[in-house]
Amino acid sequence: MSLRRRLTRWVGLTRVGLRQTITRATGTDRTRVRFSLLGVVVVIALLVVVTGIGIGLATGTTVYDDDVDYWIVPESDGERSSLLATDQPQFGTVHETTERIQATDDVTFASPVLSEVVRLEVGDRSEYVLVIGVVNSPGFEQIAGVSTEGLTDDDPYYANGSYDGDWTGEVVLSRSASNLLKVGAGDGVTVADNDSFIVTATDDGTSSAGDIPTAVVQLSELQTLTGNDEYDQADQFVVGSNSPAVEDELAGIYPQSDVLTRGGLTASEVTESGLPFALALTAFVVAISVGTLFVLTTTGLEVVADRRQLATLSALGLSTRSQLGLIGVQTLVITGLGGLVGSIVGLGGIRLTNYIATETITTGPIATSHPLFVAYGVATGLLIGILSLPILLILTRRVTGGVP
Amino acid sequence: MVPPSSPIPLVSDDDPAGVDFESPTAPSPVVRAANVTKIYTRGSDPGRLGTLLGRPDAPRVRALENASITISTGEIVGLAGPSGSGKSTLLHLLAGLELPTKGTVTFQETDLETLSTRERTRLRLEHVGIVFQRFHLVESLSARANVALPLVELGVGKRDRRKRATALLERVGLGDRVGHRPGELSGGEQQRVAIARALVTDPTLVIADEPTGELDTETGQRILNEFERIADDRAVVLASHDRPTLAISDRIVRLKDGMIRSDGNK
Repeated sequence: MSLRRRLTRWVGLTRVGLRQTITRATGTDRTRVRFSLLGVVVVIALLVVVTGIGIGLATGTTVYDDDVDYWIVPESDGERSSLLATDQPQFGTVHETTERIQATDDVTFASPVLSEVVRLEVGDRSEYVLVIGVVNSPGFEQIAGVSTEGLTDDDPYYANGSYDGDWTGEVVLSRSASNLLKVGAGDGVTVADNDSFIVTATDDGTSSAGDIPTAVVQLSELQTLTGNDEYDQADQFVVGSNSPAVEDELAGIYPQSDVLTRGGLTASEVTESGLPFALALTAFVVAISVGTLFVLTTTGLEVVADRRQLATLSALGLSTRSQLGLIGVQTLVITGLGGLVGSIVGLGGIRLTNYIATETITTGPIATSHPLFVAYGVATGLLIGILSLPILLILTRRVTGGVP
Repeated sequence: MVPPSSPIPLVSDDDPAGVDFESPTAPSPVVRAANVTKIYTRGSDPGRLGTLLGRPDAPRVRALENASITISTGEIVGLAGPSGSGKSTLLHLLAGLELPTKGTVTFQETDLETLSTRERTRLRLEHVGIVFQRFHLVESLSARANVALPLVELGVGKRDRRKRATALLERVGLGDRVGHRPGELSGGEQQRVAIARALVTDPTLVIADEPTGELDTETGQRILNEFERIADDRAVVLASHDRPTLAISDRIVRLKDGMIRSDGNK
């Protein structure tokens, strides 16, 4: 057979296969075709959703709702901790700014954070401790894993910038700091040569600073002790909110600042760990495996059910290869179409996932969607079809032939 | 109808699957069955494990016994006999759909047993047209697409396929039903589509099992006239209970209990 005739034959078989598939899908075998299609659609939709979540993690769109949502930090090129940064550019007039942030809708609390490593003394015992100054308010529960419950709200010593209000002398120690200094609640402690501090509580919560001995005090009192009261300075702000919309407003508070999220930090850790890639790859492998098995099962059952038709084709003189061509066209049309519909459903699934996530556990979308997911879904669907073909060939060989 | 001088190369020189049969130029044997016996096994054999477990052998049915028949170009041969007499089995053997348990079937001097399955499939495509008792049309294709299906396998272009299929459907009186699917056609119309499909490749041998079983008298006669017309340059074998159908035969072979009881002119 000449090459041209061979080509004409395959074009003809493809046309017949397409026509058969369309007729079966719309008329003679509607239920069976729809069932096959549905299987591929579900598999591809799940693949797209899981891939979207993986890429969402990788690109850091994920913001988890937690005790602390946002950190406003001075703009910096280098990597830094959002808490342990010292000797960095600082913000000024932070008390006023805090009031402004607290007035923003959807903000549950806000506090400037000043961190200094300061000598603490108890009797003849003297240790350097990370002292964190904050403005306590309802909803603000902890900083660096240390509870702020032992601090009076609204930083009374600040007194609208006069720094002559009531000196509380309140200090909350982390468990490691209290162990180091051998003090407990009610004991006096000297902070930066000021002996007016009383330990109001010790807290054994986990600190983001690891086991670093930490003490939490009123911001204005730490500012006074460390000379940061002149311009009302602090290193950063911590803002609690459940709304992702707050992030844009926070970004406009200071011109040269970055707004970080705990989720953002989590995402970067995840990216470095390769988890999103592993997640997407696993989803792909599972989709290919499950999809191929599903298509093999449904198409295999169809082949067996259509054995009389295959025998007829064989009796008419159609070779096994041509019969497989017809089955292959039908399989690829169904898996390709399933990939297309599945990826569109998957994009809808991503929207739904993000909606549910933002309504329940996160402050922002956890999954990313992209138009390329459609091409990805179609390509995966076709790959599932192609991977099914060798087994279908064997099956076709076994059931075809004989008397119809 | 496609003339015998059709551009379709019924013999493919360069195709390994093709079987090189010469087109008959004078009345000569097209197909010959010599002492053929066909035994079917009902169900599956027990296999080694089944035998060990004492499962009895599957029952065997002797559908045809020691049958010999020769069919030549230009001849219409009618196979007559009651149900279960072996008519369909003999047709299937002559068409190369099955191989005999014993004996030989030769198609233009080539023993079908020496051909591979692929070669026998190609032989049917190029040289044999079959009309099944139950038509066996492809449900998802239109009447025209059903008729044109063998031409697809032969690599005939779309325009030519449509032209030939439409012409044949018009000849069997279905010119206005070309776009209908089998489910939209009556039994008689489906039978005519099956006949058109059997003739579309201009075969050397046409085999038909009860070709007028579903047709009214007028349409049946029209189809029989068509068989008579095409038999000029090919062999036709018809299995039927129907007297008018057998009446067009040059020769009637009567079968009973799997054996040929008589073979002669009407």
